[in-house]
Amino acid sequence: MRKELSILIIVILGVFLALIAVDLTFGAPDNSAMDDYFIRNGQEQAATNNIVTTVVFDYRGFDTLGESTVLFTAVIGVALMYRKLVKGDADENE
Amino acid sequence: MIETIIHVLVIAGLVVSAILVFHFRDLLAAALASALFSFLISLEFYILQAPDVAISQAAIGAGLTTAIFILAIRSTKRYEEDIP
Amino acid sequence: MRMSKIVRFSADVLFGAILIFGFYIILHGHLTPGGGFQGGAVVATGAALVIVAYSYEEVLHMIKKAGLMLQESAGLVMFAGVALIALGLGTTFFFNYLANSGLLFGMSVPFGPNPGELNTGGVLPLMNIAVGIEVWGGLAIVILYMLSGISKAEEA
Repeated sequence: MRKELSILIIVILGVFLALIAVDLTFGAPDNSAMDDYFIRNGQEQAATNNIVTTVVFDYRGFDTLGESTVLFTAVIGVALMYRKLVKGDADENE
Repeated sequence: MIETIIHVLVIAGLVVSAILVFHFRDLLAAALASALFSFLISLEFYILQAPDVAISQAAIGAGLTTAIFILAIRSTKRYEEDIP
Repeated sequence: MRMSKIVRFSADVLFGAILIFGFYIILHGHLTPGGGFQGGAVVATGAALVIVAYSYEEVLHMIKKAGLMLQESAGLVMFAGVALIALGLGTTFFFNYLANSGLLFGMSVPFGPNPGELNTGGVLPLMNIAVGIEVWGGLAIVILYMLSGISKAEEA
């Protein structure tokens, strides 16, 4: 009974996701004013051929700063968590 | 037409590798099947013209995650046991 | 615990190639797909290969934890510092003050498809290098800490 129920749920979920995927269109967004601005002015304003990098590091640089801070905080968290485990190391001076 | 065939092949490979992850009792083989899943997703991103995301997925999904899984398997058991 | 000789030799051979590919992605981040995060993740994958192949004591002789931590902090400080210099010059935060200036990375780019030139992009290559250094150090030290955790668990 449980097995049939889980198979039914999986099939319903799969059909649902497949129906969504059928209607998707790639490469033709509805609102493209911002994209057109970046594509038209990116090479001139940032002197870069790669528009993706221009958006990530120049137009949206503040987001990238936040992303780097998140990565830094995550690594600090992992280091703190493992600190007690590796405390006995002789060749570490932390 | 040829693009649709490649899409169908990649997605079929995704489903097969996901079932393999579930099916393997050897956990090292399951970790490698999970790496194959990540690699096929990265291939799909590349076909959908997102090479940046494809590089990230290949490096993190297929490289670093598999390394963490292998480290975990090295410190525990390699074979899955039957659930009582 | 270490892996077999085949795994260790393959890791030694592949490490250099992965490192060079990652540096290529970081340095050409403003010309080809990729950038600091992607290139740093590729380099960290090479470091993870070595970390997985060797035992904890051997890895500690090759890679220092304090060095990786310093590298990660230096990357973030360099990233914020490059952005803060723009405030000192009287413009906005994250302004691209080196673009089209003729100085370092200061060549102009014509509109439309063109072959590209490494000496362009203003502050973007500097930021790519900073983020690449940070992601490399951060992801490598996460794997190294996990290895140190399991090596302690094996002894107990």
